[in-house]
Amino acid sequence: MSALGAIFTRELRLAFAGGGGPAGPAAFNLAALALAPLAIGPDAETLQAAGPGVIAFAALLATLQPAERIFSEDASDGTLELYALSPVGLALSVFMKTLAFILAVFWTTPLLAFVGGLAYGMDVTSAFVLALGLGFAAPGLAFIAAFAGALAAGLKRAGLLIALIAAPLQVPLLVFAAGAGRAAMDGTGLEGPNLMMALAGSLAALALAPFGAAAALKARLE
Amino acid sequence: MWSYFANPERFDRLARALLPWCWGVAAALFAIGLPWALYFSPGDYQQSDTVRIMYVHVPAAWLAMFAYAGLGGASFVYFIWRHNLADLAARAIAPAGAVFAFICLATGALWGRPMWGAWWVWDARLTSMLVLFLLYLGYMALRGAIEDEKLSARAGAILAMAGLINLPIIKFSVDWWNTLHQGASVFRFDGPTIDPSQLWPLAIMALGFTVLYLAFVLTQMRAMIMERRAEALERRRERRLELEAEL
Repeated sequence: MSALGAIFTRELRLAFAGGGGPAGPAAFNLAALALAPLAIGPDAETLQAAGPGVIAFAALLATLQPAERIFSEDASDGTLELYALSPVGLALSVFMKTLAFILAVFWTTPLLAFVGGLAYGMDVTSAFVLALGLGFAAPGLAFIAAFAGALAAGLKRAGLLIALIAAPLQVPLLVFAAGAGRAAMDGTGLEGPNLMMALAGSLAALALAPFGAAAALKARLE
Repeated sequence: MWSYFANPERFDRLARALLPWCWGVAAALFAIGLPWALYFSPGDYQQSDTVRIMYVHVPAAWLAMFAYAGLGGASFVYFIWRHNLADLAARAIAPAGAVFAFICLATGALWGRPMWGAWWVWDARLTSMLVLFLLYLGYMALRGAIEDEKLSARAGAILAMAGLINLPIIKFSVDWWNTLHQGASVFRFDGPTIDPSQLWPLAIMALGFTVLYLAFVLTQMRAMIMERRAEALERRRERRLELEAEL
């Protein structure tokens, strides 16, 4: 357990010391939210209707942004070799590392979703449901992005590759998180099931993605 | 059985024996199926002649999905048993599957314009086919980006298996999201709801597409085996020239 704790605290410290904590992805998320209305137009009704979708999509893009650096540095300075040799095993190490990274970086996602929802003209309850949905979905989205990051670590144009690999796999989480917000807004009564599906998808990604990422990293080490 | 044909030499002999049959049977099926589907079969009472697009559209859709199952299966075999041929199969299947997905999307758009009044609608089936197309593109991009052949094979296999696990979830989520496309009318529990006069040409076209796909994949695999052999010969020749120069 202490080994896992050490990985966890190391990753937290790294995220805040060198990576600036949530600053990068949060700024990216915010910029996407601020630019979308400029493209869509100022019509209040259109913006409100597009709100949940645009906000969920901005959150998805923000998870892709730091995916490249999650593993590339650890792959180049030998940390991953140590993780692979440790009694904990690579899959569990990868899980702990990514979890710490997500907690450090993506705790802003629900907050931004809530504020964004209000700014796009959603009522408070719907904005809260959307924020909850993205709070459920964000860890799963980030784990899928991390899996793609593990596959592309150290390659040329890794960022492009990560987006192309991760985006299709992230579709279900996007559908359910945005769907929860829309259902709350339209009063269809489907926000409950949408939230549950977002959480289920996220937990499934949490359970499976570390094994995929560990297998990809192991292939690189051999 | 896997291991018996895992030998490239043996596989090559098998493929060489099978290939003329594949091409021949595909040509024969298309010779019957194309005129039947495009000319002799009756038009639909609502869609008239546009229904003929279906004879290309539906087999392409089936094969795009079937090929992804093949890609996932070959990747699994490669990942567990490390048979090189399984990796060659995966590499050969991916572009074929991507092309079928693209044909499905393109013919669907051509059909949608007169029937639904739009080239594209954000319907569940269309969208999941588009996502499948993206999965193929991502797989090929990843394979292309990694120079080391072993690493490329293993990373590709991991991605293909992840896609295979995720595909039903994507399908479900997109179905939940929106559905306008007509339901299944051939593979149903209560038997097909499509008339035999259209079912038969459809079946022949589907079979023709499948055999054509097999022929493509086998030809591509043979080409890759020969490419490898040529590279090995080239290396050996270079080494001999170096040795001679030293002497």
